[in-house]
Amino acid sequence: MTGGAAGGAGGGAVVPLDVEEVAPGVFVHRGKPLALDAPGHDDIANIGFIIGTSCVAVIDTGGSVRIGRALHAAVKAQTSVPICYVINTHVHVDHVLGDAAFTDEGAVFVGHELLGAALARSRDFFLQSHAADLDAPASAAQIIGPSRSVAIGSDMALDLGGRALVLHAWPRAHTDCDLTVYDASSGTLWTGDLLFVQRTPAVDGSIKGWLAVSDALASLPLRAVVKHVVPGHGAPGTDLARALAVQRRYLQGLADTVRAQIARGEPLQDALQEARRAPRSEWLLWDATHPRNVARVYQELEWE
Amino acid sequence: MRCFLGLSVLLLATPALTLGDGLSPPEGAWVYLRSQLYSTRAINEIGDETMSIEAPGSTPDPSATPVVVHFGPALVGKLKQVRVIIDNNPSPLVTMMSLKSGLPVNEIDLRVRIDRFTSVRAIAETGDGHLEMRSTWVNASGGCSAPPSAAEGGMLGQIRFRPSSDRKALQFSIRHPNNSGFQIDPRSGDSIPPHYIAHLRLLEGTEVVMEADTGISLSENPTVRIATSEPLRGPLTVEATDAPTEARYTGTWEGGGLAAR
Repeated sequence: MTGGAAGGAGGGAVVPLDVEEVAPGVFVHRGKPLALDAPGHDDIANIGFIIGTSCVAVIDTGGSVRIGRALHAAVKAQTSVPICYVINTHVHVDHVLGDAAFTDEGAVFVGHELLGAALARSRDFFLQSHAADLDAPASAAQIIGPSRSVAIGSDMALDLGGRALVLHAWPRAHTDCDLTVYDASSGTLWTGDLLFVQRTPAVDGSIKGWLAVSDALASLPLRAVVKHVVPGHGAPGTDLARALAVQRRYLQGLADTVRAQIARGEPLQDALQEARRAPRSEWLLWDATHPRNVARVYQELEWE
Repeated sequence: MRCFLGLSVLLLATPALTLGDGLSPPEGAWVYLRSQLYSTRAINEIGDETMSIEAPGSTPDPSATPVVVHFGPALVGKLKQVRVIIDNNPSPLVTMMSLKSGLPVNEIDLRVRIDRFTSVRAIAETGDGHLEMRSTWVNASGGCSAPPSAAEGGMLGQIRFRPSSDRKALQFSIRHPNNSGFQIDPRSGDSIPPHYIAHLRLLEGTEVVMEADTGISLSENPTVRIATSEPLRGPLTVEATDAPTEARYTGTWEGGGLAAR
């Protein structure tokens, strides 16, 4: 069976993470719509893997080493092809803390050119606030930076044998280190958190940047051939343009509302009060995420 | 150099902090600062109609948390000095603000960095030496080490004014990173040295109506808002002094409506 990584700290066999094959050779584990501090918070992001004839690429590893191990076990349950690449779509804890489960196999870690620095500045936060999501004792060695990085605005191809992945590094949008993965052979676009479905989009980079990247994604030449979309959160789907449009409606509405507040001379505290009073939305985890977005967007737009 | 000395004294105060039991607000810095700043003088802490302080208990953004200090009729026009202190920040004294006698200020708003769970308190002193203090509790962490926001950059020292429509409030913001010294450069991964607005003056002609020592607990693009019971009349000039460069930035509100975009 599997090597060291599967022999987890608990000593028992690792139960493989449940995954769904959304396209031939493309496996996705659906994260749960839980708050960042809820029990089970290490399993909120969509993570998974793509299998070629010579290599497997893992895309995001979950919010704990435990989830990473369960994902590793899920790969091994599907194939004996080695894991050559671990791709992190951005720096957020729910996507990267499982990385340490994949170091034994000699996989190459791949990310945006700013991912390494973003991980470096998040290190203390991860070690202090997420120690329980790492193996004890929590150590910086379990936070794995990319050994290969993709320059902003450029592509990188990864050959998995029989299928090639195209990675693209975006300018500041959801975060400052967002990366997408496109698998041409199945027409699958893995968006990372550049696309939220159902869960309230969290603006941690730039509202203006994110709107621009949304438009770029929606008008990509590959849009015509995207048959499957794997968002960072929420249900995988088939209609990229529609999913982007739904998200865009929220982001554009947020920008418009905050711009109007700034133009009326409303201070930040009034904008935050209004955010808390805003009508409940169908977006999940709205109460936690929306006011935070208002605070961020206000500060970005007040200097336009 | 007064400001540098002030900052280092406050940094020295940090080891004196003791962690609380997680239930009651730790007051280590305040115990120390109270004896340093106010000795054994009586400080009244009761009565919302006299003074109050508001900050979001769980702030949506620890690096830019709005703090609003209200002053009731008993204090309006009588304020001489206001200090704002964040007990558990590495540099607890956010500002020491001196006001011109008779200035009818009824509200002071700041945007601050919250490093970890803390009391945020304001202490007002009247011209006749009376002290009032109010405090509030904020659950947050990481505000001092948060990376530069999407609004970073721009023209260093640019000053923007936003008056309210009735002219009874004026917000001014200075385009400045106000680096705390606890942040990391997202590109190089290196630590960013402290670089902040150390001093602010608000002038009516050549007369100083408000003057404040400030530091690293103010947020990026330091922002202050003052509300008064009478409409403000321009022109008012803001003068901000940078540390460590000692560069001075100025901007003037002529008294018109919303700032030109």
